[in-house]
Amino acid sequence: MRLAIAEDSVLLREGLSRLLNDSGFEVAAQCGDAEGLLQEVRRTRLDAVIVDIRLPPTHSDEGLRVALEIRAHHPAVGVLVLSQYVEVGLAMKLLADSAEGVGYLLKDRISNVPDFVAAVRRVAEGGSALDPIIVSTLLTRQRSEDPLVCLTPREREVLVLMAEGSSNQGIADELVITLRSVEKYVSTIFGKLGLPSTGSESRRVLAVLAFLRA
Amino acid sequence: MTSAAALAPGADKRRSRAPPGLWLLSVIVVAGLLAPVYTAGLAFSDEEISSLHIALLHWISVPYLVVGAVAWWRRPESRLGPLMVAGGAAMGLSTLQFASSDLLFTIGAAFDLVPAAIFLHLYLAFPDGRLRSDFERVVVSTAYVAAVGLQVAKMALGSLGTQNLLVVSTNLEAARAVEQAQLLILSTMLVLGVGVLALRRRHEGRPRRRAVSLLVDSFALGLLMIAILFVVGAIDGLAVAFQPIQRITLAVIGITPLVFLIGLLDVRLARSAVAELMIELRANLPAADLRAALARALRDPSLTLAFWLPDFARYVDLDGRPAVVPAYDGRATTLIERDGLHVAALLHDPALDDERDLLEGVTAAAGIAMENARLHAELRARLAEIQGSRARVIAAGQRERQRLERNLHDGAQQRLIALSLELSRLETRLEDDPDARLRLDRAREEIALSLEELRDVARGIHPAVLSGHGLEVALESVAAGASLPVRLQVRLEGRLDEPLEVAAYYVVCESLVNVGKHAHATSATVEVARRNGDVFVEVIDDGIGGADTERGSGLRGLADRVEALGGRLRVWTPAGGGTRVRAEIPCD
Repeated sequence: MRLAIAEDSVLLREGLSRLLNDSGFEVAAQCGDAEGLLQEVRRTRLDAVIVDIRLPPTHSDEGLRVALEIRAHHPAVGVLVLSQYVEVGLAMKLLADSAEGVGYLLKDRISNVPDFVAAVRRVAEGGSALDPIIVSTLLTRQRSEDPLVCLTPREREVLVLMAEGSSNQGIADELVITLRSVEKYVSTIFGKLGLPSTGSESRRVLAVLAFLRA
Repeated sequence: MTSAAALAPGADKRRSRAPPGLWLLSVIVVAGLLAPVYTAGLAFSDEEISSLHIALLHWISVPYLVVGAVAWWRRPESRLGPLMVAGGAAMGLSTLQFASSDLLFTIGAAFDLVPAAIFLHLYLAFPDGRLRSDFERVVVSTAYVAAVGLQVAKMALGSLGTQNLLVVSTNLEAARAVEQAQLLILSTMLVLGVGVLALRRRHEGRPRRRAVSLLVDSFALGLLMIAILFVVGAIDGLAVAFQPIQRITLAVIGITPLVFLIGLLDVRLARSAVAELMIELRANLPAADLRAALARALRDPSLTLAFWLPDFARYVDLDGRPAVVPAYDGRATTLIERDGLHVAALLHDPALDDERDLLEGVTAAAGIAMENARLHAELRARLAEIQGSRARVIAAGQRERQRLERNLHDGAQQRLIALSLELSRLETRLEDDPDARLRLDRAREEIALSLEELRDVARGIHPAVLSGHGLEVALESVAAGASLPVRLQVRLEGRLDEPLEVAAYYVVCESLVNVGKHAHATSATVEVARRNGDVFVEVIDDGIGGADTERGSGLRGLADRVEALGGRLRVWTPAGGGTRVRAEIPCD
């Protein structure tokens, strides 16, 4: 899998690059800013890009803008946005139209190598990866009537993993249960929350998020 | 004692010229009237002489003499009075050409065209009696040479009949040629004069005072009529048209001194306005109405005031905003002093410079009110300064917070992440040393905790998401993380200025924290929108109300932030009726 990285800290950029190379990815380009990344995306075939949300020159929203641009004009390229803060509002912007091939993680997550590598792979393959903080913020958000009271603790766990973008297999591995029981949980949860079953794993991320945000 | 002094260079010199003695003026006027009285007598006794024509000539000569004398008396500093008297006298002398005496006829004939040159001079020299450029001086001198020099030349060549005593050798063809040249030169100069008046109007704008504006219009009309008359006189075939046009022209020129008189009366009327002004001022006129009262008294609606603030070393308007003195848009400036100290400046129509007495009367009457208004302006200026420095203090604090957050982000946070990454790579190489792996794991957990704490610290210092992505995104997280259900409604087109975003952000955050701590509310609503040029921020809860708006609630700090941006923060918190915090900050 071919990747490009846009990160202005050389220390992190190289650490990340070595990590991904060690994990079997091919880091085809390392860029210091958004413009450089965009050129790489246009120039060469990539499976995914990893973008720091804060990039030169103003360190405000350059990273987010280039991420949205790549998602709009190069839908085949997965986009994983890294940031030192994760915001529900930004997640919603990134996932506005679809949750396919997109990820938004706290930068700290890269030190948990197996999870991080799994997330990169998922995004590159068209899946999604949403930071647990986003999901827990939405989940613990105060509501006048909590629609999640009807879920069992196990069902809640499955819901969180679904929202984070895990595949059924991923959920099964994480919770150490069979694929069949994951599928059963998923259909129970959708039934209890009154959500239409979507089939696609990334489309159900969007459905769950929309439900949690409402 | 209040006194007025003109800023215009040379004004003092002009003021020092004393008015002529009354007896001297009377002698001049009586002497000037001798010729008109004489020719008026002629018109009565001699059937041959047209009474209408003589009457028209004196319709000019007498008013110019009289009004000129009045102007000379009223405004000795201006040359206009003497010029008008000269014009009237020349006109009177020119009527002597109807006399039967050869000497008187010759004098009258010699003065025939002199009034035209004097009128040109007079009209161009209005209002202060001086010509303004070399071009104007050349035009006027040429007119004098043509009116006097060529007149003598053509009379020497035998023009104007047998009574002419100046004949040297008779050559009527040459005399007519000289006359045609003379009339064409004069009419050219007159048309140039009209052009000068038109150009002045384009550059300086229409005089603001009505009487002055009328007067200048009558000048231009008079010059144009004389020019047409002379062209008709110069062309041989048009002799029939000459007399009717001449009479219309005389009628028009005679209007000018009357308009001038209206102007003088206007000043007298204005003088009674000084008395009205005093009455108005005695009734404790509010500072804001002083300008209008002065404008009425001076009959100059365009009048503006600028107050001198010695502490700031600058002029300001009534609202304390900096003002430019002297004005560079053709306005005149009069400085006002009180007890030897400079108080204010009046910026007014330059035509008022000719009415120094009036200006002095008005400024003297307004002395105390002017000082009060100056104090009012000073207070406003100081308030604006305090507001500005408060905004600067807050802005500086904000910049410093952003710098700290940025340093944390680019420094410690990045390094810790890189370190943690390095540790995990190390861990993968230690597959056969479970003890070392465990200790590395613990180290990574420590780093993760440090990062989390740093993230909270950084966010407390400055929410980077606000600078990066704006109010709506930042508030979404605030609402999602609040301790009670929050309905968030943000309707903003695009980003706001950063200080506004920061202030609005803190208004929402602090208010929600207060709601969570004190309100016992079940839900809250946050609304942010642009409304009538303001950013409107409102946080409403359904709690117990009765919030303490003074102590410990952080509301004072919020109010500071909002007020520093020229906005205002209001709180409604009736007991049992929930609390509503509303900030409105100007954003245009």
